[in-house]
This record gives sequence, C-alpha cells and structure tokens, in this order.
Amino acid sequence: MSAYAFYFATILIYAAVDAMACLALNVEFGFAGISNFGFIIFQSAGAYAAAVLSMPRAATSNGGFQSYILGWSLPWPLPWIGAAVVGGLLALPFVFLVGKRLRGDFAAVGLLVSAVLLNVLVKDFVPFLNGAAGISIVPAPFQSIWNPQGVAYQFAYGGVAIVLTILVYFLLRRITESPYGRSLRAMRDNDIVADSLGKNLRLNRTSMLVLGGAVAGLSGAILVGFISLWAPGAWGYAETIVFFAAIIVGGAGNHKGAILGAILVPVGFEEATRYIPPLANPTLVPSLQWVAIGLLIVLFLWFRPDGILPERRRILSRKPTAPPLPPSDDPDALIQIGNLEGLDFGHLLRLGEPTNDHRVILSTQGLSKSFNGVTVVEDVSIEIRQGRVTGMIGPNGAGKSTTLAMLAGTLPSSAGRIFLEGEDITAMSSHKRAQAGLVRTFQLASEFKKLTVMENLVSAIPNQSGDSFWGSLRGRRHWGSEDKANIERAEEVLEGFGLTQYANAYAGGLSGGQRRLVEIMRSLLAEPKVLLLDEPMAGVHPNLAHKIGDQLTRLSEGGMTILMVEHELAIMDAFCDPVIVLAEGRVLAEGTMAELRQMPEVVEAYLVG
Amino acid sequence: MSSFGFGLMTAAVLAIATVGFTMQFAVTNVLNLAYGSIMINSAFVAYYANAHGVTAWASLPFGVATGAAASWALNRFVFTPFQRRNPAPITVVIVALGVDLIGTFGLQAIVGGSYVSYHQSQGHEYHIVGMFLSGLQLIILAICAVVLVTIHWLLRYTRLGKAMRATSANPNLARNSGVKTQFIISTTWLISGALCGLAGVVFAMNTGVFEATSAQLYIVLLLAAMFLGGPGEPYGAMFGALVIGLSTEISAAYVNPQYKEVIAFVALLGMLTFRPYGIFGSEKTL
Repeated sequence: MSAYAFYFATILIYAAVDAMACLALNVEFGFAGISNFGFIIFQSAGAYAAAVLSMPRAATSNGGFQSYILGWSLPWPLPWIGAAVVGGLLALPFVFLVGKRLRGDFAAVGLLVSAVLLNVLVKDFVPFLNGAAGISIVPAPFQSIWNPQGVAYQFAYGGVAIVLTILVYFLLRRITESPYGRSLRAMRDNDIVADSLGKNLRLNRTSMLVLGGAVAGLSGAILVGFISLWAPGAWGYAETIVFFAAIIVGGAGNHKGAILGAILVPVGFEEATRYIPPLANPTLVPSLQWVAIGLLIVLFLWFRPDGILPERRRILSRKPTAPPLPPSDDPDALIQIGNLEGLDFGHLLRLGEPTNDHRVILSTQGLSKSFNGVTVVEDVSIEIRQGRVTGMIGPNGAGKSTTLAMLAGTLPSSAGRIFLEGEDITAMSSHKRAQAGLVRTFQLASEFKKLTVMENLVSAIPNQSGDSFWGSLRGRRHWGSEDKANIERAEEVLEGFGLTQYANAYAGGLSGGQRRLVEIMRSLLAEPKVLLLDEPMAGVHPNLAHKIGDQLTRLSEGGMTILMVEHELAIMDAFCDPVIVLAEGRVLAEGTMAELRQMPEVVEAYLVG
Repeated sequence: MSSFGFGLMTAAVLAIATVGFTMQFAVTNVLNLAYGSIMINSAFVAYYANAHGVTAWASLPFGVATGAAASWALNRFVFTPFQRRNPAPITVVIVALGVDLIGTFGLQAIVGGSYVSYHQSQGHEYHIVGMFLSGLQLIILAICAVVLVTIHWLLRYTRLGKAMRATSANPNLARNSGVKTQFIISTTWLISGALCGLAGVVFAMNTGVFEATSAQLYIVLLLAAMFLGGPGEPYGAMFGALVIGLSTEISAAYVNPQYKEVIAFVALLGMLTFRPYGIFGSEKTL
C-alpha cells in the first residue's frame, strides 16, 4: 500500500512542477509569441539557486566532497523565493535577442544555443555548481523536524506544490485576461503592427521572459527540494522540446491546455514509463520516448495545430445578436448597414477642439534610404500641414511605402531628418512615435488574426490603465470600467462601418475588404494626430472607398492630419490637397491634382504611364 | 601549428555542411534544425555498407544518396505541406526540431547506443608546413575542396545556379520571370541534402568513433558559421566555417579544450545580437 502511496505522491509533485513550468512557457510562447527554446535553463537556474541557498557551505558539508558557490543554509521559503528571483533575472541578458529587429526564429535559436552553452559551461566548470556530477543531498524543507521519507511529508509537499501551481494559474490569468494580455496576443499575431500601434515590444517581451523565468525558477526549486539532486544531465536543451510538445498538445494560448499538456506529456510519458523494464537494449525505451515526443509535435501541428483545448475566443461585445454572416465583400450591404455619417468622431476618437491652423506638423529634410547600396528614397524633403489630407502618388517603386515606413519608424532612415511638431524624431523608436500620435497602416493584411474584430479595435486605444504589466496585476477593479467604455466606443465605430455582426469573429476569418476596414477603424481608434495610410482603399469597393474618403475629410476638419499613399487617382482628385508626386525615390512635384495634371514631367512619369 | 591542422579539418567538414544548410535556408526560409540528424543517419548508412564489405570510400556514395533522398523527402513531404498553410515561421522550425528528435532517436532505437567506426586505414602521416595530417585527412580535405569549387561553379556559371540564386532572392519575382521555382527548390534540397550526407560521412570519418547522437550539437557550429557569413549566403557559409573551424581548434590549444565550442557560441550570440544578417550583409527590405 505504502509503495503505491509514494508513487502517487511522486506523480502528484511531478504533475505540479510540470504544470507550473508549462504555464510559464505558455505565457511566453502561447500568449506573447516568444519561442523560448532555452526555457529549461530558467527552471534549472531556479533548481540550482534553491539548492545552494538551502545547503551549508561547500567546505563543511559532508567533508566537502562537492564544490559549489554560496551555501547559505537559508530556511524555507527563502531558497524558493531566491529561485524565482534568479529565474527572473536570468531573462535580462536576453533582452537583446527579443528586441523587435530580430526574427522570432532567429531569437529562438539564439535561446536554444544559450541553453546548450550554459549546460556545457556548468558541466565543465566544477567549482561553480559541481560540474557534471551535479549537486546532491539538497536538504528538503523542514527535514530537521519532519522526516521527508514519510508518506505524510510527501503528500504535504505535493499539496504545497499544487497550491502554488494554482496560485500561479490565477496570477497568470489575471495578466493574460487584461488589456495588457490583449496587447501581448496582438504582439504574438503581428509584432510589427503591434509596434506601429505603440506597443513596446522589447519591454513586453522582456517582462514576459522575466515572469516566465521566475515561475520556471520556482518550479525548479520545488523539484530539487523533492528529488534532492540536480545535474546537467537533467537539463539538456532537448528537455525544452518536451515542454513545447506539452503546450502544443494541450493547446497554446490556453492556461488549462498547458496544464492538460503537462499531465499528458511530461508526466504521462516520462514518469509513467519510468518503471518499464529495459527491453532489448538499455537505450531503447528512452530513445522511443524521444521519437514519440517528436511525433507528437509533428502530428499535432499538422492535424490539430490548436491543441486539445484551443485558445478561447474572447467575447467582448454584447451587441451582435445574430451570428456573424459568412465573410462578405458586398459593399452595398455594408453601406446600407453602416452609418458612417452618424459617427461622432470628436467624441469617439477623443479629438478635442478642432484647431485647424494648417501649420507644418510633420516634415522631413533630405530623407534617404538605401538597401544594399541601392538607393530607394533619395533626398526627400516634404512638409505635411495640420488638418489637411495630403496625398502621395508615384509609379511602382517610387519609394512611397518606404517613405511612409521611415516616417512611422518602421524602417530606419539611411540619412536625413524627420520632425514632428518641430521636434526631431529621427532617432525615436516607432512605438514611441505611435504614442506621440504618429500612426500608420500597412499595405499588406495586418489584422491580428487570432484576436476578434472587437479586440483588434480596442487593442489600439492608447493610454489604457490595464495595458501595462503592473496595471494588469491590479486587476479588473482597476481597469474594468475604463475597458467597458473603450469597448462601447469601439462598438459605435464598428456600427458606423456596418460590421457589428462581426464584432466577436476572429479578424483572420474576414474577407480582404472587411479586413481593410478593420485596419482603418483600428488606426482611427489609436487616436492619431497624424495618420499615415498606405493604400487604404486597395481591395475596397469604389463606392465604399468614396464613403470612407468623405469621412477622412470630416476627420481632417476635426483636426486630424492625414497622409495617404494611394494608386487610385479618382481618390486623390476627390479628397487630397495637396498631392506629392514621387518618382524614382525623389520628390517630382507637389500641388493640387489640377496643377499636377498641367505639369508635363508629372504626366510623363506617372499620369500617362 | 598542429592545432591549425585540426582547425583546417574541422573547417573543411563544417564548410560542406554549412553550405548545404544555408542553401536550404536560402530557398525555403527554414532553419532546418533536423540537419544534424540527417548527417548522422547518412553516416550510419555508409557505416553499414562499410560493415558489409564495401570499402569506406566506396560507401561514401551511400551516405551522400541517403542525405539527398532524406532531405528532399523532408522538404517535399513535411516542410512544403506545412508552409502551404502559411503558418508563423516558428511553426516550421518547431516541426524541424520534432523531426530531429525522430531522426536521431529513431536511429538510436535501431542501432543502440554504442560507438562504432569505419574500417579504414588512417594512411601515412604527412608533415606539411608544420602540420601533421594523415592520408585520410588529406583525402577529406581534397574532397571538400573539390566539392566547394563545384558548388561555386554551379552557382556562378550554370543556369540552375542562377535560378537558385534568383529563387533565393525573391521567389515571387523569380516565378513571374519564368523560373520553375518548385523544381528549383526541390533540386536545391537534393543538392544540399547530398552535401549534408557527405558532411555526415566525412564528419564521422574525421571524428573516428561515433554514435547516434554524435551530431546532435553540430547544429550549433552550423548556426554559428551560417550567421557569421549571413544566413542564406553560400560564400558567407564557407567564410563562416573557416573562421569557426579554425578558431574553435586553435582556442582549444591555448585554453581548456573542453571550452573549445564556447567561441562558436559566443560568435553566434554576438552575431544574432548585433548583426543578424552577417558580417557583410545588411537588413532585408520589409
């Protein structure tokens, strides 16, 4: 009986530890989109930290047969707290890898390689953490007054582990189900767009790595307190893949999925098969386990990429009573449903008092861009006036989109300066520019696919008190009512554009034209002072395009400044004044469309060809 | 100077492997983390041919064929179907990691965990400008040199090579310009897979003894060499392999040999942090 009890207690503790680790990795990978291929080093750092904090000085313990640092003999729970702190701090060196310029898969291999490197270093440098032999005889908490070999102790230990896992679950849920969590998922779905809406990618990713690292560190502490030894062999880089397999099987982006995955994969596979007797050769069972982990990953990603418990769709809007229609591009239907003229932009977009003085609000001096020695934009000096809808045209490859990207900071400029309200913003990062009111849209589809339409819109609203790490921790009482007001504003905008029925549908499932509208609405809700639109009407029916153009005029009358790149000259004729013509990376001319049509060089460069 | 000889050997093998790895990245935009597992599987196929009476050098083509066939199949039946669904790039990398586990440990399940080596003489020892190189090592160096020159000729002077470079630079534009990109991608995987198989066999010959997981950490050297020269750049890969190969072995002579790979790690992390598009490269357009 008691053998079963010990086995059961062991499984319980492993389940809690693995679930905690999977919850942590899921926040990083499933919510924030950071593929932390070095996850195991965070758990391991916690295990080592807890060990050396709870053990006596190396020289005095058991005749000094192991060598390690610290040895502070701290009482529980200090070693566990220390483990979480060390796990969190370990994330800080990786802040350079997860900045916005590096591709996600490059950062992932960087983390993978770091895990391999640290393993090699710890294994070969014995004085640090006793090398390949690892640290053993780690004291169990309270072992001087309570026998750790007893059944009661082991169940109590399991109980504490489970309670801590539950606390972690609620903590992480508090963060992910807040406006901040929405921003994290937006960043996961499309980081460059989230950045252009003012989300600080580096800070958000680092925060999640620190949080995940702290939780992973705690899980390592719980594990080492129970098994009492920790060695490099236990944390090869491949152990991270087991956790990834767990999350993919359970369901990325779903906390319950992470727990389920932890129980099915690491616990189910590794612990339950621990007692299978060796078959033909001693490596056969372990090798087949690894093969099975590999197969699980490949097969699940193919047949059930969202896992057993897929990410939950968040229903923000109570408005839509009818189920969403299938995606539609029928413009007449949209126009009939919508009521663009009825939108009160001053209130919805917090525009403030219209103060149109047509001063220069955004300007460039000698702006240039070259890629690999090929100059794409050369010496562009333009002035955008406040309260106007300025157009930008030019043949393909004229450098329009590149100029717009440099204005927004998506691309760094090679030379020249950019000024916003007279202030030099050339060196300002793109998310700061967005926060300063310079917001752009993209030529290619840029919706956050696995956010609903309503979440797409609300995520863009600036200055949300729940849209920060600490704000999210303060809970719904802190941000709830504000979020409700934001949702109501977004609902009104959505209604004006005739898309109410799609409020709770995933944006990734909409038609091309609908997604364009979502992007336009989202950019408006970012409350820009200067809005940079990159071919906003592409794929939108001409009738609807004109309706939207009318609204842009209204917005500019309300005080918003708009710069619009567009191919459709009819749109330029109707709504833009002045219009800037780019050709071969240079400014060719500027003026009203009527003036431009009189200029032979413009006609030659663009209007005819 | 003898460490220079070791370094040259490591660099030569690494160059073959990295050129294949980087070509795969160039045409399909996938970091094929299963590369090491195909290398070691190729080495084992050659080993079994060798164990059944074929001489070690004559068994080399078996390894090359295995690498080519396995890599082609991996792209055709795993990566391409996944990429058709347009997932996040990281999904395909995770799939590659899964395939790596299947390949490496599937092999281990079959052959067991013990070390093996080819039946092969080391040949005479030669003393060349201060380096001691065995006849075996000289042949490996010669093979690597011939293969790298052939790759250079292929990329520079043949229609196929031009089509490969075009596909790598801009697949859509290449397709619209009449390049049969699907065919080019398949061919690239065949050729790079052959390099992978060749690298696996000569890696095993150079190491002497090997087992199923011997190439598991080779991916670190591959990544370091590739990122040093710029991802997707075959010539950069040769340069990166030379730097990584020489620096790991020479540093081993002066500091603790146990830390010899550290320099590769540091190079890789430094490149990723400061110049992710290589020493000579610059950022790609968005």
